[in-house]
Amino acid sequence: MARAAKKKQSTKLIALSSTNKTYEFKKPLEKRIKYQGKEVDIKLHEDPKGFSYIVWKNKKYMLDVIEKKQNRYTIMVNGVWHSFTVETPVSLKRKRYLEQQADSSASVSIEAPMPGKIVDIMVEEGGEVKEGEPIIILEAMKMQNEITSHITGIVKSVSVKKGESVMKDDLLIEIKKG
Amino acid sequence: MKIKSLLIANRGEIAIRIIKTARKMGIQSYVIKTAKEPNAWYLEEADEIIDFSENFDDLVPEFLDIERIIKSAKRRKIDAIHPGYGFLAENPDFARRCEEEKIIFIGPSHDAIYRMGHKTIAKELARKHGVPLLGGSPGSVRDAEEARKIANSIGYPVILKAAAGGGGRGMRVVEREKDIERMFTLATNEAAKAFNNPDVFLERFVREPRHIEFQILADQHGNVVHLGERECSVQRKHQKLLEESPSPALSPALRKKMGEAAINITKSVNYYSAGTVEFLLDSDNSFSFMEMNTRIQVEHPVTEMVTGIDLIEQMILIAEGQKLPFTQKEIKLKGWAFEWRINAEDVQSGFSPSLGTIEKISWPESENIRVDTGVRDGSVITTYYDSMIAKLIVHGETREKAMQLSSQAIRKFWIKGTKTTLAFCRAVLQNSNFRKGNFNTSFLSKELKIHYHNEPDDALLAAFFATYDYAREINENEEKPLHTENGKAITPWVLKKRLR
Repeated sequence: MARAAKKKQSTKLIALSSTNKTYEFKKPLEKRIKYQGKEVDIKLHEDPKGFSYIVWKNKKYMLDVIEKKQNRYTIMVNGVWHSFTVETPVSLKRKRYLEQQADSSASVSIEAPMPGKIVDIMVEEGGEVKEGEPIIILEAMKMQNEITSHITGIVKSVSVKKGESVMKDDLLIEIKKG
Repeated sequence: MKIKSLLIANRGEIAIRIIKTARKMGIQSYVIKTAKEPNAWYLEEADEIIDFSENFDDLVPEFLDIERIIKSAKRRKIDAIHPGYGFLAENPDFARRCEEEKIIFIGPSHDAIYRMGHKTIAKELARKHGVPLLGGSPGSVRDAEEARKIANSIGYPVILKAAAGGGGRGMRVVEREKDIERMFTLATNEAAKAFNNPDVFLERFVREPRHIEFQILADQHGNVVHLGERECSVQRKHQKLLEESPSPALSPALRKKMGEAAINITKSVNYYSAGTVEFLLDSDNSFSFMEMNTRIQVEHPVTEMVTGIDLIEQMILIAEGQKLPFTQKEIKLKGWAFEWRINAEDVQSGFSPSLGTIEKISWPESENIRVDTGVRDGSVITTYYDSMIAKLIVHGETREKAMQLSSQAIRKFWIKGTKTTLAFCRAVLQNSNFRKGNFNTSFLSKELKIHYHNEPDDALLAAFFATYDYAREINENEEKPLHTENGKAITPWVLKKRLR
């Protein structure tokens, strides 16, 4: 009941994208959104084959939920995925504050995107990495896949060895921001 | 000898493709069931199943187990084996074992496979038959000094390649003389590590070539024809992403010249069956022989679309000993065809494989569209095999028309459950240089800056849907538990359908 009370207080929900863009929607959520100053209807449909799509300004947008965990969503629209966390104004504020606090000392975990075998490790503990640099080669599906760092920083720990097999989401490397 | 039964030593879309032709020809088809894919679709399409699925951890993977495959075929008195592509398709030992056991191998002789598979032997054959080659070392390079001498004589840049290699490994480009010693050492070490063979050879390096290949058909009576070319320049790390036939780069005169070279190299090993001769085409229209693939290729449908010839059927007829039913003059290329490879890959994360279940798959049907696939609703993309979901092949009267039809077909090609390369295909079709036919193997790294096509409101609609779903669930939460399966939501529409 506490949650219900809290919910009534907030007037909007915010989708925060992985690229740090925000999209605000007024509550209660209706199937229309304010777009360039106008209210536009959104129609959600399911076609007879079981595909979901949105009709928006007379155009069809295919829709698929790729991942959903609590308030984290990965939604595919026309074959391109977008990741969000859904926040209330309060939770967004708290999140931003915590990020700021943690920014200087935070470390980021890099996990295996799929099961496979570690073919090569290009970094060592204490070494520097730049954003976009390959750090591990993971062999899966007959291909050698480069795992790259998405931040610049110092390698805090390496949790795998060359030749080792890993499962999806296994921790590979921790990188300290900076 | 008329082939009455056929074992397909392969899986997925190519197994289904071969079954279709076998059915048309009244040939009984056999396939192999593995523990890795016991519910795969190709098993249902075949007439008979040979069960290899009792052992999950076979020492030799099922489709590479030569003796077991041969034994199974013999026990059931199967006339012939088609290897498809990959696995044993270009293994001379497998072709030889079939010959020894009097099973018809639907492909060339083991000798032709061996000689074309060996890069330095194949190059020597090409040289003897007057087929243009990139300048370079006649065989393997002994030491850095010899590499320096050859490189100085043909001019820089040059490339060092592992003689036993392939797929982009063990290759080093040398830009200047002062780098050659260091690069020779690196290439040799890499080759030794990757292929257990330190031999490297040296070639002139073409910076931004096109990759053009010719489809060959040859019978056992010395008749050889080519079925035109395929343009395969759009690649990522030597992996082809789409193909078209014909190539926008070839004039009829150049096609004739390259086609003749392809036929010459084919004749040099008394080749029979279907085969593909690969060339690099430089910007000045000079071309060089790269290699010959002694099998049916993934991209064979584009050739079938423009020639109207069933290549699998021809392979079977040739294996029976029949003569080619057409001459070079009778082969006409009609219109233009594209093949779009739809893979379970995450284009937004460097084309990394995206595993999962194909919850639903659907595409528009029309006479211009052909879809070759081994998956259907509920199929699983596993780590055991490649990430291919389907090949979308589109035919049009002109290149422009074929591109327009491709855009429409891609828009209506729906896959639910996994990330795919469909958004990449759309990005390619939006690129003006691609549309003009003006591209080469550097297209992905230099020309196509963003590898997926995004429409302006995509992100907004995704954000809305996430928020809407979240709000709805919070409301429902007050009365009932979450509707999720494996962390994935059952969308309201799906749920509605299930309850019905």
